[in-house]
Amino acid sequence: MAERDEEATEQPLSAPADGVAARSADDQADAASAPQPVLEMRGISKRFGEIQALDDVSLDLQPGEIHALLGENGAGKSTLIKVMTGVVQPDVGDIRIDGQPVHIGSAFDAQTYAVAAIYQEPMVFPDLTVAENIFIGHRDRGLIVNRRKMREEAQAVLARLGVQFDVMQQARGITLAQQQTVEIAKALSLDVRVLIMDEPTASLSAHEVGQLFGIVSRLRSQGVAILFISHRLEEVFLVADRITVMRDGRWISTTPRPELTPGAAIRQMVGREITEFFARSPSTPGDVLLEVRELGREGAFTGVSFDLREGEVLGFAGLVGARRTDVGLALFGIAPADSGEIRLEGEAVRIRDPQEALRLGIAYATEDRRGLGLIFSQSIASNITLPSLGKYLSRIGITQRAAERVIAETFRERLSIRAPSVDTPALALSGGNQQKVVLAKWLATTPKVLILDEPTRGIDVGSKVEVHRLIDELVAQGIGIIMISSDLPELLPMSDRILVMREGRQMAILDAKEATQESVLSMAMGQVETTT
Amino acid sequence: MRSALFRHVRPEQVREITLLIIIVLLLLFFATQIPNFLSGRTFTRVTTAIPVTVVLGVGLTLVVLTRNIDLSIGATVAVVSYGVGTLLANDPSMSPVIVIALSVAIGVGLGAINGVIVAYGGVPAIVATLGTMALFRSVLVTITDSRPVTTARLPDWIVDLNGIRLISLEDLDVRILPVIALAVVIVFQLLLRYASYGRRLFAIGSNPDAAHVAGLPMKRDVFVAFVLCGALAGLGGFMYMARFGNIDTQSAVGLELVVVAAVVVGGVNIFGGSGSMIGVMLGAILIVLVDQGLIRWAAISEFLRDALLGLLILLAVASDTVILERLRLIWARARRAEEESSREPAATAGGEQP
Repeated sequence: MAERDEEATEQPLSAPADGVAARSADDQADAASAPQPVLEMRGISKRFGEIQALDDVSLDLQPGEIHALLGENGAGKSTLIKVMTGVVQPDVGDIRIDGQPVHIGSAFDAQTYAVAAIYQEPMVFPDLTVAENIFIGHRDRGLIVNRRKMREEAQAVLARLGVQFDVMQQARGITLAQQQTVEIAKALSLDVRVLIMDEPTASLSAHEVGQLFGIVSRLRSQGVAILFISHRLEEVFLVADRITVMRDGRWISTTPRPELTPGAAIRQMVGREITEFFARSPSTPGDVLLEVRELGREGAFTGVSFDLREGEVLGFAGLVGARRTDVGLALFGIAPADSGEIRLEGEAVRIRDPQEALRLGIAYATEDRRGLGLIFSQSIASNITLPSLGKYLSRIGITQRAAERVIAETFRERLSIRAPSVDTPALALSGGNQQKVVLAKWLATTPKVLILDEPTRGIDVGSKVEVHRLIDELVAQGIGIIMISSDLPELLPMSDRILVMREGRQMAILDAKEATQESVLSMAMGQVETTT
Repeated sequence: MRSALFRHVRPEQVREITLLIIIVLLLLFFATQIPNFLSGRTFTRVTTAIPVTVVLGVGLTLVVLTRNIDLSIGATVAVVSYGVGTLLANDPSMSPVIVIALSVAIGVGLGAINGVIVAYGGVPAIVATLGTMALFRSVLVTITDSRPVTTARLPDWIVDLNGIRLISLEDLDVRILPVIALAVVIVFQLLLRYASYGRRLFAIGSNPDAAHVAGLPMKRDVFVAFVLCGALAGLGGFMYMARFGNIDTQSAVGLELVVVAAVVVGGVNIFGGSGSMIGVMLGAILIVLVDQGLIRWAAISEFLRDALLGLLILLAVASDTVILERLRLIWARARRAEEESSREPAATAGGEQP
């Protein structure tokens, strides 16, 4: 630590001397004008199936700086973090630590190179004490733990962060903010030089956020390079020294904070083309189908109110942690609301489980295809008819297989699901075709209200267009659609109106014709005034 | 006073204290029902009956802490006691050191098979060890001529081992096998508490994702847990042979159920992450005590003993999930109240000083 501080203070003094020699080569001039980065990534690319998650991204982290990373959902921030922490291996590109190329192949490698990450949900061991949590990653401590020494050192690490609490208590008993502090302490005890903080403030109270920033600025003064990811723009502009914007897996800009405004940052985050997307055919929404008033669920969201008409698409916009999915889950009864009112076609209803929702004619196509959407080992036909089995496909509990196949075939044609037959297991399909099976499954229940959660995430462009065309057809039939999507260029043209959410609150309902990507994103990031 | 209780006793330790209280109450209850129950002989009987269960329980606990299970320990005991017993019957001149080393080595080998399948092969432990349980035993039946080992064919020293008394007061004996079991408990309790390996076992079971992110050598640690479990099952097999002397291929059938019961009743969380060897020992004592008491208690039919064992397991698991959560809540509240009350006086005291 002391050594690094010295380096930092010497830098300005030694820079002019280097400057003389630097004239000979451009490379050296760069090296002299900026201090040597701790971690440097050059030309990182990574592809997952059909998705180019990272495309030629370069980023450097200087010692003693807070470097903020901004981008919409799906901009590639998470993948970039995973590359740095050894969870994901890049296809192309190299990583340098102190100028030396390194290979970070595992979490342990990352630890060796003094790179650590903390997440929105802290990764603590609930059954271990705070002190044990801090030192669990140490391999150099021999076989026997000296408990007193461990306690004292744990207290010393926490003291470096300017906090104090009982280190011999079990981690399950401490608050979320304290757990996060424990994670930072864990990183610090390993003499971490690069600390990645992924949405660390999302679950904290305002007071706790203040404390966290106190800790972060201490770390900065101790020479740690911090990569800070947050969807709260005001926080980013409060703490960051430099700000990097990413979009669609690409690096867009890296700017010192004083030279960037929140409005400019948002413009860089959204500047994407809309033209490639399917345009809705003109339609006029009919009667009010669903009325939602002051809907809330403790700990998730509050005060959500909207009307959904027949033949209307209501878009839900927001960033990670906006709790849009929770509203969908509440309307479908998976995680029922605990306050507010829901009226369906004028009648007050209470939706306590999915069975009830289906009976009322509400269906929810999940964003989590793998976890909640499909039974992968089963055939397309069984997947499609699963929720409607009880409705009309069985007599005295025995499935009518012929009827099942007819229905499955109908949907295979209608949605152009590309598979050899309806007996093909779901796992054999591409992402786009799996998504179509999910949609078919819910359409088979003949819903009045269809909630689509990220219906085009992770599928190829061709399938996207087909999903959009299907939505258009459904609307023409008078189905009311709630479409949750993080893809603003898709959501804006597909929706009639847009409901913007931020951290469990409804910010506004906009007419989709008047809304722009910038206006929606500003609201989603809580920056209503600064962008004009 | 109250806050001192909350600071020094963990919710998990309440479990151990409760077990002790239950054991004492049970002793008193049986004393009223069974003539001459509180005697040196009862002590001798109980302590003679538990060593194998305790040693196996300690090994199983290492595995259960990591969110795994080893159902093959009963079969391992059978392989070791039958296999080593047969060798010993054929060559009675083998030295005791070699006999014990061989028992443990066979256990290590079988444990390593489990460890490779579970830790490196990624097969769920309950399936893998159910498979090896059947495998070990059928291999035993196939490769031997199924000729039972009898006390008559074993050398005297091993037959007499079970009867060796370290201390003897009238009819109260402290025999050698329980002392070995106690030593195993102490050694592994220390390992859990003071060795970094022990800490990692808790960590892996407590939050596997976090353990992965923390870069812990999870596969190796789980593998080693299975090997240690096998080694202790090997030692248990030797003790089993010493205790019973007459071994056939069907020996120790169902032993794993008793051991799982001791582990669970002893407060080891079946979902990993918490437990102690002291608790396992108390769990084993409680089970054996119930068993021994019921044998001699005329009011209860013999058939009800197994049912009671099952009931004990269910009660233990239920109390684990329900009661322990409550206790943790109470503890957390007490701690918060304490922190708040300690903060206020400190603040005022600080204000007065300058």
